Amino acid sequence: MLDRASTFADRGIIELLKSRFIPVAIDQAYQRRQQDAEGEFYRRIAGQGPRNDFQSTTQGLYTAAPDGQFLGYTNNRGAARVRQMLAEALNRYQPSEVASLQRGSPDARYNPTPPEGGLVVRVQTKVIDGYQRTNRKWQRIFQQSISRDNLWITKQEHRSLVRGEFPRSLQRRIARFHLVDNTRGEPPMWSSNDLREVDFKLDQNRFTGRAKLSTESGNRKFDVRLSGSLDITGEKVTRFELVAHGDFEGEGRYTRGAPKGAFPLAIFFSLADGTDIADSVPPQGSRGWVEGYLNTD
Amino acid sequence: MNVHIVFAIVLGSAVIAAAESGRFELNQFESECRASLQEPWRTIPWETSLIEAQNIAAREKKPIFIWAMDGHPLACT
Repeated sequence: MLDRASTFADRGIIELLKSRFIPVAIDQAYQRRQQDAEGEFYRRIAGQGPRNDFQSTTQGLYTAAPDGQFLGYTNNRGAARVRQMLAEALNRYQPSEVASLQRGSPDARYNPTPPEGGLVVRVQTKVIDGYQRTNRKWQRIFQQSISRDNLWITKQEHRSLVRGEFPRSLQRRIARFHLVDNTRGEPPMWSSNDLREVDFKLDQNRFTGRAKLSTESGNRKFDVRLSGSLDITGEKVTRFELVAHGDFEGEGRYTRGAPKGAFPLAIFFSLADGTDIADSVPPQGSRGWVEGYLNTD
Repeated sequence: MNVHIVFAIVLGSAVIAAAESGRFELNQFESECRASLQEPWRTIPWETSLIEAQNIAAREKKPIFIWAMDGHPLACT
């Protein structure tokens, strides 16, 4: 989130990446583990940098030659530092003939694809109010951020929606993995026991409902209402728009800095059409356990 | 004045006014979400496969830039 609004909002960096580099964005928790050509190539590059213990995070910004030669690394988000790293990489880089790597057999554990015949729905979340005003740039970025995730809907659930039903599995997947505050970092998801009440309805192509979510200790809560609508053309959902809005309370290990007490949180769901670069990214809730995500209890 | 600039000023003012009042405006929230899909970082032609990036880099003789995060940097937060 910070990177998108700071490092990659810098025009100089954008132009350099567009014209002089081949930019790639990855969840390194996959690449540092996966046993295939992609994982091997990533570990070859990252292993030459300062974060070369693949048992823990290797996150950061890397530059490398196409043969895997390490050119530079920074985990600093300041635009000046990143511009410097890019300039140094261009100075070091010696263009040469390099063979293209073959993809081989991708490690299926780390290459999930959306369910065939299903739907991909964009999920965007924002804290509407409750923060203390600040003049600190980085804090303001978090306070104003709109997060982005994807909801995957299975073929069977897609068919249910076309029939006018809101399947329980989809209701619970939305509640557990998408009614979360992920605006400041990776959020804790809800466990099935945290779903105190989930009652979503679809009637005459209109969504309504409410959910009450709470951890056992009560340190995180969300009391939320839901409304929206969908369009169906033939046997396909062609529009899916849903807003969940309510009072959220609490934070997670990687989402510190939430407003104190209960605060309004809103979540917008809209059908992905493949035009946004993030439409192909697997849901955060599916990370490492796609079956568990899709077969939500 | 360019009509797009006028529209941006009007929309921006509405967003700030509603944010300062703390009230939830459904249409405004949806507009903000849709507008956020036009942010500058999205104009960068990100690859999502390192092998695909290597193949293009080898062909075009360019270095690779890797944005490697915990959670996918294009989404997830």
